[in-house]
Amino acid sequence: MPKLTIDDREIEVAGGTKVIEAAARLGIMIPRFCYHPALGSVGACRVCAVKVLEGPVKGVQMSCMLDAADGMQVSTTDREAVEFRRYVIEWLMMNHPHDCPVCDEGGHCLLQDMTVSGGHGIRRFPGKKRTYPDQDLGPLVQHEMNRCIHCYRCTRFYQQFCGYRDLGALSIGNRTYFGRVASGRLESPFSGNLSDICPTGVFTDKPSRYFGRRWDYQRTPTICINCSLGCHAVTSVRYRQVARQEARMSAAVNGWFLCDRGRYGFFYASLPGRPRQAAVKGETTTMDEAIAHARSRLETLPPDAIAVNGSARSSLEVLAMTERAARLKGWRGPAFFADAGAAHNVKTAIARLEEGLAVSLGEIGQADFILVVGADPINEAPMLALALRQAVQKGAGILVLDPRPVCLPFGFMHVPTAPEALGAVLGRLVKKSIGPAGLDGPAARFYASLPDEPATGQEVLARAAGLLAASRRPVIVCGTGIVASALVGLAADAALLLTAAQKKAGLFYILPEANSFASGLLAPPESTTDRILKAVVDGDVKALVFVENDPFATSPDRELLERALAKVELLVVLDYLDTPVSRRAHVFLPTQTLYESGGIFINQEGRAQYSAAAFAGGAPILETGGSDHPPRVYGTGLPGADPQPAGQIMAQLAGEPMASEIGARPEYFGGSTVSELAELPDVEAFPEEGQRLSPKNLPADRFKSVLPPSSAAESDELEIILTERTFGSEDLSSYSACLETREDEPLAGLHRRDAESLGIREGDGIAIRTGNTTLEFAVRVYDNMASGVMVVPRLQRLPWQGLGKRVRRQDIRKA
Amino acid sequence: MTLANYPQVLFQNRRPDRIATLEEYRASGGYQALAEVVGRRSPREVQELVLDAALLGRGGAAFPAGRKMMTIAADAPFPRYLVCNADEMEPGTFKDRVLIHADPHMLIEGIAITAWAVRAEKAAIFIRPEYENAARILEREIRIAAAAGYLGRAILGSDFSLEIVVHRSAGRYICGEVTAQLNALMGQRPNPKQPPPYATEKGLWDQPTLAHNVETLACLPHIVRNGAEWFKKLALTPTGAGTKIFGVSGKVKRPGCYELPIGVPLSEIIEEYAGGMLEGSEFKACLPGGASTGFLPRQHYHVEMDFDALKKVGNRLGTGAIMVFDHKTCLVAATLNLMEFFARESCGWCTPCREGLPYIRDLLARIEAGEGEPEFVPMLEEMKTHLFRSYCAFAPGAAAPLESLLAHFKEEIQKHIREKSCPFKKEPEPGVAGLAKPRFIA
Repeated sequence: MPKLTIDDREIEVAGGTKVIEAAARLGIMIPRFCYHPALGSVGACRVCAVKVLEGPVKGVQMSCMLDAADGMQVSTTDREAVEFRRYVIEWLMMNHPHDCPVCDEGGHCLLQDMTVSGGHGIRRFPGKKRTYPDQDLGPLVQHEMNRCIHCYRCTRFYQQFCGYRDLGALSIGNRTYFGRVASGRLESPFSGNLSDICPTGVFTDKPSRYFGRRWDYQRTPTICINCSLGCHAVTSVRYRQVARQEARMSAAVNGWFLCDRGRYGFFYASLPGRPRQAAVKGETTTMDEAIAHARSRLETLPPDAIAVNGSARSSLEVLAMTERAARLKGWRGPAFFADAGAAHNVKTAIARLEEGLAVSLGEIGQADFILVVGADPINEAPMLALALRQAVQKGAGILVLDPRPVCLPFGFMHVPTAPEALGAVLGRLVKKSIGPAGLDGPAARFYASLPDEPATGQEVLARAAGLLAASRRPVIVCGTGIVASALVGLAADAALLLTAAQKKAGLFYILPEANSFASGLLAPPESTTDRILKAVVDGDVKALVFVENDPFATSPDRELLERALAKVELLVVLDYLDTPVSRRAHVFLPTQTLYESGGIFINQEGRAQYSAAAFAGGAPILETGGSDHPPRVYGTGLPGADPQPAGQIMAQLAGEPMASEIGARPEYFGGSTVSELAELPDVEAFPEEGQRLSPKNLPADRFKSVLPPSSAAESDELEIILTERTFGSEDLSSYSACLETREDEPLAGLHRRDAESLGIREGDGIAIRTGNTTLEFAVRVYDNMASGVMVVPRLQRLPWQGLGKRVRRQDIRKA
Repeated sequence: MTLANYPQVLFQNRRPDRIATLEEYRASGGYQALAEVVGRRSPREVQELVLDAALLGRGGAAFPAGRKMMTIAADAPFPRYLVCNADEMEPGTFKDRVLIHADPHMLIEGIAITAWAVRAEKAAIFIRPEYENAARILEREIRIAAAAGYLGRAILGSDFSLEIVVHRSAGRYICGEVTAQLNALMGQRPNPKQPPPYATEKGLWDQPTLAHNVETLACLPHIVRNGAEWFKKLALTPTGAGTKIFGVSGKVKRPGCYELPIGVPLSEIIEEYAGGMLEGSEFKACLPGGASTGFLPRQHYHVEMDFDALKKVGNRLGTGAIMVFDHKTCLVAATLNLMEFFARESCGWCTPCREGLPYIRDLLARIEAGEGEPEFVPMLEEMKTHLFRSYCAFAPGAAAPLESLLAHFKEEIQKHIREKSCPFKKEPEPGVAGLAKPRFIA
């Protein structure tokens, strides 16, 4: 632990700490442009110069490149260093356009700060300024190259950190250009971070362009709910409109960055068409009247004839109150899952995330071997792909077992495996990588139950087994979207077995939605939306309540849904989205988004995190202000502020005593049957990195996984794998217009063998006939996917619900 | 010419009309050294021999070649790579091209011996694209050498194999910087990379990589064949060793490439071999070792051209490319010319180099055009100092001519400013005509 002196103050830091970081620990902010904690030191901008008075090297040195050493004496205020830094600023400002008044970075611009604090006010350089043409980089990032100070953060982030190649440094000298070879949409799903890391206004947030200065915004720490990872964000609101989101540093979860789905997934909150008024039979009314109407209608029905559906995009408060209302009133449900398969997968995952086994997203980057089973990280949880890449950069090996043509921004091994064979391959791999020695009891029995390596082992698997055998901190990442629940349990047992083999093994699940964990905790075992819909069709259920749930987006059986909705006598919908089911509601009750109510979300590793309310609600001023400039409203009320937190509405529908305030814990969770929730702290006292929940007792089914028999028989059917895409699948972000162009073409993926046997070539259109509908796709032919399956993107705009689970080969025709 | 006064080592087979053939090279003792070391003398022995010979790198940095070889540890991992730096782009320097055109097998043998000395089984000659002829010569002669058993698998019956590839640069000055060159070889953007790790530890694809200049490598066969003492004695000064190819250009009667002993006086090179100054010209200054060395003023006209001696007078031998300026040449204009080059060729990585050089160029252009202000001089002085705080050696090299201009010819600068015109020009050009137009990428 070297002890050094910076500006006459002593500090002891860990070995390998750079002087710039050591100074930061003392509260001394040494100027920096190229240095970024996530991107490391490269010594390009030279603005972090300090004078080393005593130490291994003396004189003016770059503090980002210099390891703190024992006895070192550093001055950040030495005249020589200050003079040099002054010149660096002057050089950087030679060509800068000084367009701060119209630059979106103005006000939170590092260059602005450094220029002012460095005392550079008057331009001495008598020459002309260099100018560059800008590029159209797509709908998310605005390009203004003239402002560039060439710190190389963008290309280092884009290429080294993320692994994408379409943006980088071009040309040399002071003509160096950061952009693409030609204008075009940025390919990386992490491109929005460019706006965050650029120290000036070269890359700025395009959707919020010209909307506000940093100080104009109400900025609130929030949690992203566009997938199950629960990344940390900062939400900016102005004029009652959510305008922008940035990444918020979290060591445990997302690090410094955020994916584009999360960054731009907020537009649903301020959409002009967002329903903000209660309605009964299509006629708008007050909240009180609508609630009273719904309540009186519900009271005429036997409790058993009322069924409640919620969804995992609701906060824990909403889910808990929904569950509580249903339980106390004796209503059916609540159903938080579309069908038993989805519910079972999530519940299994929750039960198996025992203490010591569960790893956080932040810990993924420290793993030395990662086995990804039945998961497609870049599409299901984009930031996971970035974490995996950081592990790869540090030397970790990655094996993906998945039927889909998984594509990731780094080198990895992929064994395309049919869904039913995933368990067998996983078991075989883990067995091969460890020996039976040292195992006893259940671990030994489980080991023995795993299949042995077949005579014709794949070379890739053998290589992966070798890496897994040599690893010390392996992690198993398991998806819950396309796999059988047996695999979810098997992944946990495989991780336990690695632990029994003296490895510090970790387990990481991807769950389907932001609050799937809480949904899984609270959902009664037998309640699923499909069962409830059947009960409606059977006449057992007369009233349906949908709480922030759009069955048209989630229910795989569109026909059943239509029949149920046609038959149901009372349809009550609580939502903040304009959905097909809310439009058909008999009673519609507008709810608040997370940005208005705040709320707790539990991410896929069981980390309960509180997302604070970003503003008080109400319709955006741009909507209500009559296009005044500046927009203004005359009146005392907040227009469009009828929506209430869905939990509050549920309490009123149930006639339960009201919670004192949203987020006040005991009212919501006190009666909960889930003991884990009772331990949650008050929202005011929520830790920055949240609180991890884990099962109170060790899971009963440890080492009890049984491999499902795998049938290798050629089938005359293709299994349909509906797969999530980074953009266009997730419910909330599909309301963001700026992400529309990021969506993939809806292509059906087929293995070359299957395509050939069907006489289909790449680019061909196919028509799939299932039931009485016909769906058309263009086909993409892959070699790196399993055969016997057809991969179809589950895009919101695609009527995938008609496809079913399997399709007969003879029902596939060339279109 | 009186070259016969001194032994011709590197140029012993040089002819005015064509390159030396393999037979001619062999007849002069070529490939004997390779036969002597490969499979017979341990790599360590060869390294020590080179160290004893006090061979300093001829690419400009003058690092002891033997010591560089020794930084590849005996237990360093395989594969190891050898890179021959033929990216000769230092303004005024053309020795490597002449050497390759004179006797390519000398270089090939030098590469093979050096590869043996570090057990590298793959070597790359990184050559500037303008040297297409030299690249083709090398490719052809490498094939010939391989056919004769000097390259390829199991060289001369040993267990040592070597493959040499000729890699054409995309053509930027910075690619001559070794870490940038390795990036370029790997297909990456050629930005320099500050050590650690050193290339000899983690170079090409993170494997140990040794890089040497063409002329350095060409010395190897002679050192092996004749011994370290012989090599040291080639020099005229006790601090020097070997010969050096001097490329003389500028206001002399016979510009060209001359192989002379290290330590030969500058005045002798100019007067004896380069034929003296042009009629009506007087020696004013010279750049003794390429564009990134300083102007050597008249008081050092008789300096011994040795790494040490030039260091003592505050200069560097660099690549040994001597650019001679006469009393009619404006050194502000000459420095501006060099700055145009350096500002253009900066890789753009660090601020002092990328922005400071164009700033300096702009100030010099104004001074030269008669638009200079007195405060430009202290600005130039400060910026010159700050150039030494850049990321790699490029900007310090670029600062050298400016530094010496300020040190020895400040009066000439001030005269420009006082008279509001260049004293060497008959008619001052109006406006900042000398400024290069900014160039954009589409």
